[in-house]
Amino acid sequence: MRALRRINKTMVGRLLVLAWGLAVVACAAPQPPPELLAPTDAQMKLRSFQTRSFDVADRKQAIRGVIAALQDLGFIIERANEPLGLVTAARFAEPNYYDVLGITVTVRSQAGGRVMIRANAIFNNKPIEDAKVYQNFFATLERSLFIMRK
Amino acid sequence: MRSPRRSLKRRGSAALCLLALALLSACVPQTRPDEFFQLAPESQVHKAAQTRYFETADDIELLSASAAVLQDLGFQVSESVYPLGYLRATKERSARERNQSIARFFVLLLSMGRYLMPVDLHQKIEASMVARPVNEDATRHEVRIQFYRIVWKGDGQVSSGQGQSHYIPPGEQRMEMIRDPLIYQQFFAKLSKAVFLEAHKI
Repeated sequence: MRALRRINKTMVGRLLVLAWGLAVVACAAPQPPPELLAPTDAQMKLRSFQTRSFDVADRKQAIRGVIAALQDLGFIIERANEPLGLVTAARFAEPNYYDVLGITVTVRSQAGGRVMIRANAIFNNKPIEDAKVYQNFFATLERSLFIMRK
Repeated sequence: MRSPRRSLKRRGSAALCLLALALLSACVPQTRPDEFFQLAPESQVHKAAQTRYFETADDIELLSASAAVLQDLGFQVSESVYPLGYLRATKERSARERNQSIARFFVLLLSMGRYLMPVDLHQKIEASMVARPVNEDATRHEVRIQFYRIVWKGDGQVSSGQGQSHYIPPGEQRMEMIRDPLIYQQFFAKLSKAVFLEAHKI
């Protein structure tokens, strides 16, 4: 009987220590790290894949070139905003109609008669981080802009 | 010591397993995103079907006539951006086809009334169009239109009570680009009549 009471006492003691530990943990709110919003190396690399500068003075012409390139690639233009230089397009990964590719392109004027074009592509709602995808896109875009300049 | 015959047998079965796996993976269509950002060999053929040129400097007239033609074809214009010559239109229609209904009847007959084959019930047809000048003084315009559709399948039996719509199980839908050149020809013939101009091919 006495042994049982001693066991109970030690268990209560342990539970108290556990509760105290939990309370301490709960009180100390985790602080977000100061570098939370700082760009990582991977993000910077991705941004450089997704961005390219072109020797086109007319921004509207560059937007038209983006639309033509996307249409050539079989994309359906879903939204276009001329003042903001935004084009959003999507296509099915034919013949597989369950996979969908989406792309958003922004065209911005730069100093020296150039435009900066940035493309963000997604495959089934996941961002594409493969540099080759963007290389292929910009190669098609360059061709389209070249044809327009002729 | 392992007998050489047994190890040969093991290698053989491993090779067979590998072969089976390779065959299985070959059956599943693989899609690689980088391929879709390269010009496909058939892209020129699609472009030729989807594109016509009009000798006009009046881009507003061309765009409004295009919207009018789409309206004549039963589309609702859902988006328009004038400075870029962009239009988007949509229409919903029944997707029922006689061939599917006949096939469904025979399947029902052969299965002694146990299996009701799902058929295409409803479809949404979308059009995305861009008109842009192709020369410096903007006296020549290119019009490119793309049609595609989303089709919903179902057994068509359970009615929602209105007598018009049917229950469509989730996931029973597919999307496809419309590649029939006749549809594009019809659109451009109407547009050509509307703007009193001849539509030139690529």
